[in-house]
Amino acid sequence: MTHPIRSSIPDELQKAGGKLEGVAREIAQRTGIPEAHIYGVGSFFHLLDRPHQKVRVCTGLSCRLAGADEVLKAASEAGLPVESCSCLAGCDVPPAVLRERRVLPAVQVEDVKRAGGDWQRLRSSSPLVAAPHRKDEHWSGSIGPENADPSQLVFDLRGKPNFTGEAYRKAAEMGPEAFFQQLEDSGLQGRGGAGFPAHIKWKGVFQQQETTRYVVLNADEGEPGTFKDREVMLRRPDLVLEGLAIAARMVGAKEVFLYLRGEFEVPWATMESALRRFVDAGTFGDIQFHFHAGHGAYICGEETALLEALEGKRGMPRLKPPFPVEVGLWGKPTLIHNVETIACIPPIVQRGGSWFRELGKTEPGTKLYCISGHVQRPGTYELPLGIDLDELVEAAGGYLGTLKAFSPGGASSGFLPASERNRPLSFQALGEVGSMLGSAGVVVLNETVDMKWAVMQQLEFFEAESCGQCAPCRIGTYYLRDSLDKHMASQPRTESLRHVADTAWQMNEGSICGLGQAAPLPLTTALRHFPEDFER
Amino acid sequence: MTDRSITVNGHPWQAQEGETILEVAARHGVEIPTLCHDPRLKPAGACRTCLVEIDGWRRLAPACATPVTEGMSIVTENERIDRHRKTLLALYMTDHPQSREESERGAPDQLFDMVARYQAPSDWGVLENKRQGRPDDRNPYIQFNPEACILCARCTRYCDEVESVSAITLAQRGSETTIATVDAESLLDTTCEMCGGCIDVCPTGAMAEKIPLVRGDKPERELEKVRTTCNYCGVGCQMDLNVDPDAREGQGKVVKVTSPPVGTTTNDGNLCVKGRFAYDFIDHPDRLTQPLVRGEDGELHPTTWDDALAKAATGLRGVTERHGPDALGFVSSSRCTMEENFLMQKLSRAVFHTNNVHQCAAT
Repeated sequence: MTHPIRSSIPDELQKAGGKLEGVAREIAQRTGIPEAHIYGVGSFFHLLDRPHQKVRVCTGLSCRLAGADEVLKAASEAGLPVESCSCLAGCDVPPAVLRERRVLPAVQVEDVKRAGGDWQRLRSSSPLVAAPHRKDEHWSGSIGPENADPSQLVFDLRGKPNFTGEAYRKAAEMGPEAFFQQLEDSGLQGRGGAGFPAHIKWKGVFQQQETTRYVVLNADEGEPGTFKDREVMLRRPDLVLEGLAIAARMVGAKEVFLYLRGEFEVPWATMESALRRFVDAGTFGDIQFHFHAGHGAYICGEETALLEALEGKRGMPRLKPPFPVEVGLWGKPTLIHNVETIACIPPIVQRGGSWFRELGKTEPGTKLYCISGHVQRPGTYELPLGIDLDELVEAAGGYLGTLKAFSPGGASSGFLPASERNRPLSFQALGEVGSMLGSAGVVVLNETVDMKWAVMQQLEFFEAESCGQCAPCRIGTYYLRDSLDKHMASQPRTESLRHVADTAWQMNEGSICGLGQAAPLPLTTALRHFPEDFER
Repeated sequence: MTDRSITVNGHPWQAQEGETILEVAARHGVEIPTLCHDPRLKPAGACRTCLVEIDGWRRLAPACATPVTEGMSIVTENERIDRHRKTLLALYMTDHPQSREESERGAPDQLFDMVARYQAPSDWGVLENKRQGRPDDRNPYIQFNPEACILCARCTRYCDEVESVSAITLAQRGSETTIATVDAESLLDTTCEMCGGCIDVCPTGAMAEKIPLVRGDKPERELEKVRTTCNYCGVGCQMDLNVDPDAREGQGKVVKVTSPPVGTTTNDGNLCVKGRFAYDFIDHPDRLTQPLVRGEDGELHPTTWDDALAKAATGLRGVTERHGPDALGFVSSSRCTMEENFLMQKLSRAVFHTNNVHQCAAT
């Protein structure tokens, strides 16, 4: 099926080497898309806007705790074309560094020096990629817990990918109605951050009068502290692809779009070769799969911004309602799910909704918790939904130092004090304290961390990633970061933070999407739980 | 169209299917502030000033983009909405010139009106502007002042949706988001047709007309508006001549042309490059203001209409007599009305017996 030519614009810009002078005009002449629009799209995505930067050092919280600043400095001194960037979904292998579109794990200052000023020679000496059989630089992170019983796991990340298509065939035999019942019984909630009951979306798309429907995979993982989707795609691409095929079959879609962030070169390769196995075997009938790359924009993980990006536009979130279930890709009903959510589908089909539900501790299912920061073994841990921080960290080998604070669900969830260590890490329990499970990107901070500094990393992130469409977020993220800057620069502390509460209120009430609504949380929660750090 | 029963601030009202909250409110005289709204454009809901409360909705909703539904209960004024307007406007002001004097360049800056209307604080401090402009753009008419831009995107949407020209775009993102052309080119080197609609739709005056700025004309609020019909072509667009009554020693002078309000005239506020910008002929020294006839000395001399027309008739008849009717050709201007064009072809065919008649808009 042919798609509107506009949707090819970001890829055309990439092929042309980015938004260089004359490129937008040349593409406009070929495609008939207005040149200003192409330029606007190119300038929106960091990887297209600044293509001359070949090396990007993640300056997210976990990476900075692990020496990202030194790596960045070394790279700059070595004359590499380098800049800092937002989270690369490599918080478990810090500091993560991007070379063109390849994420290198745990890059050290020595690695930078060894490159000798040539960015193409930049390699990671991490054991994850340094082994002789890893010449292709494919790598994956550490997973756990150790000795888990595979029968109690949904993803079983250590397990062997299954390309038989059994779950797809079983779902096809069940038919939509019976399957939706299983899905409802499972209690599956969206794993991308919002925790919305999955069965409502599926039924919603299924019931639309419009018969052209789409299924979209949201693999634009970028919430600081989160890297589980990367791990699922690397280790169990079969679950993701079969889940998508089941989704298409159940809601009546013929086409599936996979939107992977542009920095996921390795997961892309894994997913593509897995898809080839399914397609060669003809497992999924006539369902078509289309891969689309992101080009450096956190906001495109927001579902409607992602749809805009898929349509080849600037990734600015849409107003909701209407929701994608009714008006999605090219205005058609669209089922859009996070990687982890969709990967739950084949096991639910195979083993039943109630099996899934009972795996959870306080809410249904197991959860892929990402843990990074001050713990022994950062990584992705599949554990019952609702375990607490101590249980999670125990699985990850224990704390490094004394727990001071933690961010339970990515930058958007703010910070909680050590006293909340036994609160279930679940959608409901974290919502009760004004935080959220979000994407379950847990970052642990010990007593060495000044919360002002930690908050600053998150505020810088949101400021850099705001799409700029609405004033509360565009100005608010800038204003909060600027206020904290002024606060930190003044001694004795002045009144720089006096409008933070009003600004945060406005951002939460007034912003179009979740980015702006959540962006003040790191500051407001830290001010609430760690006031002494802001007085020092 | 089906009726919808809704409640606004406790009043039971009827609305039509498809109407937005903003439209219904406007019809009943209920004030809801907007900055990014323009009835000619699809609602963007981006400026966030029009947020209202809907019973049963957790989040505030943009009145401009939310269609009414049966039984909807809407509140446009309460403590929450008041706090929303005040804090939102306070944030806008941190990223904006701090006084009208700094901000306004001709047209009034509606942000200041709104701050005053809702008693919003304007002392939250000042952020450094990060929006790039095009200070070297050599186009003669349109100047963009990034400092005063609030990114309502009315200009880019107007350029896309009304003019289908798409010369300008939102570019970059976050606090660096700005209004740009492809590769920061001059508007002259883009698809821009210089209609000046971007100036007309801008609520803050960030898009402004260059010539009055260069000349140092008075701000718009000190000018007198005179509604007239554009005489550049036969379409009949309505426009407002902005007259400085003190200029030319009190005789007055047209220093600008602006659009009548949207929805009030047949051209719906739209003008083209000629109507909006080509008004300098009015006082131009080269403008012909009386008939001229060339004398024996080879120079042009002022005369009466009767004399001038008699001379022209004699000359035209002479050509016909010497070379036949088809030696003549008549070309009329698209600035003429249809009636005038009709008379021109009558003159050509009935009086001078030639079909050599043309009008410049006919090709």
